[in-house]
Amino acid sequence: MKRIVREVWLFFWRDLLVAHSYRTVFLLEIVEALFGTATFYYVARLVDSPGVQQALPQGGSYFAFSLVGFVFLDYLNAALNSFDQSLIEARDSGTLEQILVTQTSLPVFLGGSAIYPFVSTTVRIAVYLAWGVMLFGFPLGHANWLAVFGVLAASLLAFSGLGIISASYVLLFKRGNPAKWLFLGITSLTSGTLFPISVLPRGLQFLARLNPVSYSLEAMRAALLGGSSLKMLWRPLVVLLGFAVVLLPLSMAAFGWSLRRTKATGTLSHR
Amino acid sequence: MREIAVAIDHLEKSFPPARSGWRALLQPFEKPTSRALADVSFEVREGEAVGLLGANGAGKSTLLRIIATLLLPTRGAARVAGFNTVYESREVRQRLGYHAGTDSGFYARLTGRQNLNFFGRLNQIPAADTNKRIAELAEQFRIQEALDRQVRTLSTGTVQRLSLVRALLHGPPVLLLDEPTRSLDAIGALEFRRFLKSEILQRGDTCLLFASHALAEIEVLADRVVIMDAGKVLACGTAAELKRQTSAVNLEEVFLRLTGFRSPAESVEREAGAE
Repeated sequence: MKRIVREVWLFFWRDLLVAHSYRTVFLLEIVEALFGTATFYYVARLVDSPGVQQALPQGGSYFAFSLVGFVFLDYLNAALNSFDQSLIEARDSGTLEQILVTQTSLPVFLGGSAIYPFVSTTVRIAVYLAWGVMLFGFPLGHANWLAVFGVLAASLLAFSGLGIISASYVLLFKRGNPAKWLFLGITSLTSGTLFPISVLPRGLQFLARLNPVSYSLEAMRAALLGGSSLKMLWRPLVVLLGFAVVLLPLSMAAFGWSLRRTKATGTLSHR
Repeated sequence: MREIAVAIDHLEKSFPPARSGWRALLQPFEKPTSRALADVSFEVREGEAVGLLGANGAGKSTLLRIIATLLLPTRGAARVAGFNTVYESREVRQRLGYHAGTDSGFYARLTGRQNLNFFGRLNQIPAADTNKRIAELAEQFRIQEALDRQVRTLSTGTVQRLSLVRALLHGPPVLLLDEPTRSLDAIGALEFRRFLKSEILQRGDTCLLFASHALAEIEVLADRVVIMDAGKVLACGTAAELKRQTSAVNLEEVFLRLTGFRSPAESVEREAGAE
């Protein structure tokens, strides 16, 4: 266990050092977050009305609802992109083969490569929320932080399976996974990012229930804006962990199979 | 008699045909029909240096990549210290140092030291030992200055040396080098051969299997030579044995006679005779 933690830390440290060599990017992201938060605030001022607020699950302002939806969708993006992106970077730089001849294992390589993107997404989200609280009155007073982190952990586990499946596709076929973009498109419509799922037609509401993102956002809003506890959120948490239990082993098996196939066809380093 | 460090047993490797366009999507599932290795068998003992000699496409790199666990064989087996490269790949990788012969495989925005630390630690070298080992090898390869510069700012030859240091960092008992001096200048190549001979091979506990086009390199380093052509082993033995078998005066002539290629001098003579 100690060895796994040390190796995961090595991958995180590597990514931190690479990110540190692009210092200005972080500063620009802070400024970008300010403009993003301000945009949501002014759109919310335009659409906010008692009718809209009544339609929102936790009541409150549309600004808080949409900002939480937008920033937490970033986790899905990080999960879907970090695995295949780190794989593509490793393949193109030639480091993939060099890592595969070391004594590290495949799950550690995959997990370790995803830690930094998740941590940087968390920092970015914190910056968005901080701007919201400091300048635009984002309500954080009722947040149940234990529940927030619980939902976050369950969501990351559920989303990671999707990301690893996407990386398996890239390993095998050498190009971006088209199903990923379809999934992201469906998710932006049905997950309740910018409007509650209840306003969708019945068919799309059914589709939303098949998507882990809708459970994640529902639970995150309830914990962050409504102050719901872990106990109160057991239903979406069980669904998210259920997705994780099914998707993670499936995705690891898919990645292992893709890697063996790639080693058989001799295309590990092909672009 | 020393133990067998690397055993290649009736190894065969075929690849699926290359495809482009939408057919590329089917390539991972196609039958391997393009043969790269055919019934290759030989052994390398502990402390022994064996050179793979062959033209481009002879199968030298494919063979090294199978031993390095980066490729799966189609038939047959490769073993390192008795461990099968397919089924016991982790045990195999513990015992291997692999240099792919390219100047890629590093994080361009990290320094040489950061890169070596990362790969050394992944090979389970304790942090303190990694730093000590990096310092020792950097001195031997004369890349001390490169250690604290980003890899993207280093010359091809320096990155190649860095790659060799990485392969040696964890003191592996089996070293696989694919054209190790390809990007080194004449002096760098000479020093590298000297280093391998005096620091690695003379200790007698490391076996070296390397591919090279440089006949001089093979004559200096290799205890035995494996001559390959079109995926097959044509001959295997010491340079003296091979010269005797083929009645050749040097390794170049041995290679030309076994592969059927003609040297420029021979071609001129034959043409003159025909006229």
